[in-house]
Amino acid sequence: MSIETVYTLLPEIVLVLAATLLYLGGAFLPARRGWSWLAAGAIVLAAIALARQDTTGAAASSAESAVTYEMIIADEFAYATRWVVLGLGLAFILLAARTSEYGESTEFMGSLLLILAGLMLVAMAGDLVMLFVALELISIPTYLLLFLGRGKLALEAGTKYFFLSVLSSGLLLYGFSFLYGATGSTNLTQIHAELSLEAADSESLATFAAVAMVFVFAGLGFRLTAVPFHFYAPDVYQGTTNPNAGILAVVPKVAALVAIVRIASVAMPGLERMGWQIALALAMITMTVGNVLALWQNNLRRLMAYSSIAHAGYMLIGLAVGFAAAGGAAEAYNFDGVGAALFYMLVYSAATIGTFAALTFLGGSNGEINTVDELAGLARAFPKTAAAVAVFMFSLTGLPPLAGFWGKFTLFTGALSVDARSPDSGSLWPWFLALAIVGALNAAISAGYYLRIVGVMYFRNPTTTPEARGGTSAALAMTLCGLLVVGVGFYPGWLLDEANRASQSARESSPGARIVPDTVASTSTRTASAKLSTAAHAPLAHGSSRGTATSQVAQPRR
Amino acid sequence: MLLVTIFLPLAGALMICALSRDARAVQMTALATTVATLVLTVILLANYEPGTEPFAASSFAWLGESTNVDIHFSVALDGVSLWLFGLSSLLLVTCVLMSWESVSSRPGAYYALLLLLGTGMLGVFAARDIILFYIFFEFTLIPLFFLIGVWGHEERQYAAAKFFIYTLAGSMLTFLALISIVLWDYYHSPDGTMTFSIADLTTGLSQHPIAEPYQLWIFVGLFAGFAIKVPLFPLHTWLPLAHTQAPAAGSVLLAGVLLKIGMYGFLRFSVPMLPEATAACVPWMLGLAVAGIIYGALVALAQSDMKRLIAYSSVSHLGFCMLGLFALTSVGVEGGVLQMINHGISTGGLFAVVGMVYDRYHTREIRELSGLARVTPVLAFFFLLFTFSSIGLPGLNGFAGEFLILLGMFQRAWGDMAPTATLGHVYKAIAVLAVFGVVLGAWYMLWLVQRVFFGAPRESQHEHPSAAMRDLSPMEIAALAPLAILVFWIGLHPEFFLSRMRPALDPLTRSATQALADHQSGQTRAIAAENPSKRGDLLRVD
Repeated sequence: MSIETVYTLLPEIVLVLAATLLYLGGAFLPARRGWSWLAAGAIVLAAIALARQDTTGAAASSAESAVTYEMIIADEFAYATRWVVLGLGLAFILLAARTSEYGESTEFMGSLLLILAGLMLVAMAGDLVMLFVALELISIPTYLLLFLGRGKLALEAGTKYFFLSVLSSGLLLYGFSFLYGATGSTNLTQIHAELSLEAADSESLATFAAVAMVFVFAGLGFRLTAVPFHFYAPDVYQGTTNPNAGILAVVPKVAALVAIVRIASVAMPGLERMGWQIALALAMITMTVGNVLALWQNNLRRLMAYSSIAHAGYMLIGLAVGFAAAGGAAEAYNFDGVGAALFYMLVYSAATIGTFAALTFLGGSNGEINTVDELAGLARAFPKTAAAVAVFMFSLTGLPPLAGFWGKFTLFTGALSVDARSPDSGSLWPWFLALAIVGALNAAISAGYYLRIVGVMYFRNPTTTPEARGGTSAALAMTLCGLLVVGVGFYPGWLLDEANRASQSARESSPGARIVPDTVASTSTRTASAKLSTAAHAPLAHGSSRGTATSQVAQPRR
Repeated sequence: MLLVTIFLPLAGALMICALSRDARAVQMTALATTVATLVLTVILLANYEPGTEPFAASSFAWLGESTNVDIHFSVALDGVSLWLFGLSSLLLVTCVLMSWESVSSRPGAYYALLLLLGTGMLGVFAARDIILFYIFFEFTLIPLFFLIGVWGHEERQYAAAKFFIYTLAGSMLTFLALISIVLWDYYHSPDGTMTFSIADLTTGLSQHPIAEPYQLWIFVGLFAGFAIKVPLFPLHTWLPLAHTQAPAAGSVLLAGVLLKIGMYGFLRFSVPMLPEATAACVPWMLGLAVAGIIYGALVALAQSDMKRLIAYSSVSHLGFCMLGLFALTSVGVEGGVLQMINHGISTGGLFAVVGMVYDRYHTREIRELSGLARVTPVLAFFFLLFTFSSIGLPGLNGFAGEFLILLGMFQRAWGDMAPTATLGHVYKAIAVLAVFGVVLGAWYMLWLVQRVFFGAPRESQHEHPSAAMRDLSPMEIAALAPLAILVFWIGLHPEFFLSRMRPALDPLTRSATQALADHQSGQTRAIAAENPSKRGDLLRVD
């Protein structure tokens, strides 16, 4: 491991060290308070470390700045995701700063930092092994988080999550093994090169890659809570605490989205057709099931679980469009599906974390807010909190002028623009039109339950007044999320640009990135590198200009 | 100046939020804001000269320069939106004045929402960017949802949710259709920029029109949102509930302004951008419109709740507006647009008066009221005036609108452009049925007046302090008087308004009228080819 690698990974290293410190400190020091400051400090340090590297990267154009080692890819996509993860981390620490003090504060914060480090590594993973390890670095501390409550429901939630998560990891690993079998490498760059060569001459090994893709979708679909891998979500969310539910609703989804972008939509050429078909079918089912089942929920966390399932479906719209675009279907340049999915993810995260922050804030020392009815008349007792929750609900519904509207706007525009340039030749557009229509109608269905929450807060008389002992930091997290949702709603341009640029760089860096040779021993067993040099250099010839976002997909076409 | 006018209510709403404690200050702020908005609007209207489109335009790039997604914050007025814009700011003042005494719970939030709704409404009519239009279009839902849900009547929660979800379901499809229009233009425009400007799209699509099967799909998508908003006949079921349950000011704005957004959408998007689809759908649209006229009138006859009766009368009247628009003769379209404004004034006024009756008697049931003309003569005068305006008494505004609409429809059915064969008979039937709608309208409205305002004053079952039976207060008169003046003004001199909207209407409908003519001559030719024996007859009509 060269010093350069260490430097690149410094933010993650800082987080892991801080987590170790927290675990140790908790064991030897009696204090319960103040640990969240340490965790927040770690985030700030990591941010400083990240900022020092990122300035060098930002000056150059995206493809050139992408440094690829065997194990990690440090392109703009990775940097964008890492920044987002640090932001999420700060929000989670604020959200749980007070409530974690009732229980095992150090364990909570330490696990949270590990989860964040894992999430950042997922974004950087350039190798299947690295990716898997990073995903497990998210999962294992999550089990700990879920068990921390030690209540009966917490145990049930933790156990359920543990078994299903292990199963999904197994499926994912099984899929990876097919990918390795088909290409003889675990390196994403080499897998890409091998598959694009194989797609050209023989069909035999590409079949294995197709099997791999199915398993990858199954394994990651669990984390994304795509139907039919969603069954655990409502039970687990209901059984755990509001801060934990907030983490669960966001972190695994970000991980799954990023990983799918890395493996499936970038490193698996020749399978775009299958990719968009799977993503499209999953998107339609996931949106509809999530939204329809959410209509009947009375437990708030259960309701938000179904809502998060539904939103996973929306993100899959973006992935489907991304696959179709990578497969060569014409696409409006600015409504790149993957970019839209990333943007949507961010917008969704802000509203969801904000909602859980509000619920955490309203909770008491021994009783949390559990059901919708407990919010009755909130507008009288806590007008600002109620207003914030209303903003989050309207944003999740997708109403202008809030951030959620732009999320849906980019997704639907992406879906409608698939194949629109050549409507006579292609057969894709009816599918994507249907997808857009299903998505649009789902927005109306989702209004049913989001409005119910708003209605309960504003139109009903209060029954019980919430204790509101979740701490001012939770209220701060809620306010920040609220400002983000409203601010992005009024000025979405900047964030949209960033999301599109990140997805551009993810596409370009995988096939075209230069390889730094003197790192970890090569895991490839065949003569892939020889083939690679011919395959990889050709598409890099064009100069991608930053910001204009009009450069073509840098992938060899079949 | 236009920007200031649009955002003045928003600023007022923010100010109200800041000082929400003092009810009197809140009312004064709301009144000052709306009056200032109205004054600015009147100045804008007075400066308007026909044919100077776009008028009072201002435009800012919104999504930044780095993407070439060219969404602008672009507002302007033209001869059509001008009057709807004016109507909105006038009704806002009416709403503030009529709520002066009747709204006592949480006045801060109430007036803030009312003003937010005001910004939304003004923005819809001023928007010149397709996305900006949609943003304002959807945004109006949020304040109205709260207005109905918090200050409404018995079933307010259900009504608010139904209204919201129904409208949202339609408008999401409209959203897809609007995006499709933009994308089509983007893929077919020679310069390759993605424009969202309504004017650019209209000219662009006239140069490279959308292929006909797509036009039909897009028309259906737009129809879903706009027809629910209008509401056109089978999609109207949210309306009576929302109207009945909304607070009086909410009903006034809903009937007076928000329903117009649907028809404005048809006029602004469907007709000019999708001329072939419009031409193909004309018989269906006319059929639905006349079904709405008759159905709304018949159901209104059977109502026992005053607000519900007027709500169904709205279904009927909006049917007239749509009939005029889709008759696609210049007279008919003018009548349709004029009738939109008339309906806003007269039905807005009727809802306002019914709200005032409710404040006094706490009932909307017709059979619990009687002889109000003796107890409250001024109130009765205004109700009667708006009733006459609504049923189209000559000399009042309703007459001008309905006459032009029917004239337009008769031209379509019997004039030079009339189709022959079955379609011609259908058009004739539609025209005749529409006339029956006028008769039915007079029936249910006059019957309502007779039952509620005439006869002996009934000893109400409820105990009321005598103060409750007082006649209109100066505030309430001030709320209704401007509407009453407009009733006479439009009725006696409609040309003042028509001459200002005509230059804007013609370019909007020209391509659709042309397409309809082509469509019909194509059909005529086809029929002529099938029946050579009748050729002589048909060619004469051609």
